[in-house]
Amino acid sequence: MQIRNDTARYGAVAQFFHWAIVVLVVTQFVLASIADELPLGAAKVIMLARHKSVGITILGLVLLRLLWRWLNPVPAVPEATAPWQRLAARVSHFLLYALLLVTPVFGWLMSSARNFPVSWFGVFTLPDFIQPSEQAFDFFHQAHEMLAVSLLIVALVHMAAALKHHFIDRDNVLRRMLPVKLKEE
Amino acid sequence: MKQWLVALTALLSTAGLALATAQWRMQPQQSTLSFVGTQMGASFEGSFEKFTADIHFDPQDLAGSRFEVKIDMASVNSRDKERDGVIKGPDLFGVQQWPAGHYVAERFDPPRNGKYTAAGKLTLRNVTRDVPIEFTFEQAGDGAWLKGEARLPRLAFGIGQGEWADTSVVADEVRVRFSLQLKQ
Repeated sequence: MQIRNDTARYGAVAQFFHWAIVVLVVTQFVLASIADELPLGAAKVIMLARHKSVGITILGLVLLRLLWRWLNPVPAVPEATAPWQRLAARVSHFLLYALLLVTPVFGWLMSSARNFPVSWFGVFTLPDFIQPSEQAFDFFHQAHEMLAVSLLIVALVHMAAALKHHFIDRDNVLRRMLPVKLKEE
Repeated sequence: MKQWLVALTALLSTAGLALATAQWRMQPQQSTLSFVGTQMGASFEGSFEKFTADIHFDPQDLAGSRFEVKIDMASVNSRDKERDGVIKGPDLFGVQQWPAGHYVAERFDPPRNGKYTAAGKLTLRNVTRDVPIEFTFEQAGDGAWLKGEARLPRLAFGIGQGEWADTSVVADEVRVRFSLQLKQ
């Protein structure tokens, strides 16, 4: 398969970024909901440390992904697409990238606000940009959760749209993000 | 007879003062006792809000010098109430059973690279271990700053029972830092 994108499809690198981030974001919801149920103990500390490490991984992957996107052509939307759908696609892609960046950053600030600095899998520790404070923690905690829920909603809309293209419009929109051959149009 | 006794007592105490190594009074407002722990690879700082330090120190009389520090273990502040609750609990400090920490240093070595070392004993959770400290002593006017650091293995004191014994979650080594403002 091609490494780079062309105007018809995403290449291997863009696909890797897309699907790796999907898997990691799902992992994040699982880790967060497990940690939420636990009392403050070693098990919770371990779950949250993993959640933070995975979150920072997502942040790094999204930054690399945006760089890659900037260096590559973005496959064109099918010609028949209605203008409102083109706009909806642009807005939802923008929101997905924005939420994928801001959610981990708020998680990081939330950790600093509670004096639980973020380590990336024990390899390095991220700096704290804010001082510990209960008010700041409450703000970033709530915001982090709201952003995560928003990300989930936009991702579900994005997924529903991809499935609609695949099963109803029967076009290549989903296929071009998969390691499969495109259908002749 | 009574007057004679009073005079003798006064004379003896004056002589005693003259002989004793400089006694310093710690200024609680300006003094800090903090620690750095490592949790899942990330270090975090906390402090003790309440402690007293009885410092007899004279660079010219190390043999007569002595530190005695008492720490109110329940005054621990890691900037997170939930974590403080766990730290004070029976698996870590166990403040109900062992409310005070105690440090005594009576042997001092002359400074190397500007730093003194003291051999002292720390008692936490009723366990006493040798804990050396390194410190600087800077005198200015009638005051002085005593600043230093120690490293101690928390598990040697039993700080970390059950699930908290896992050093991959909370590292064994804890750094302790102190900065004491002293007045004569």
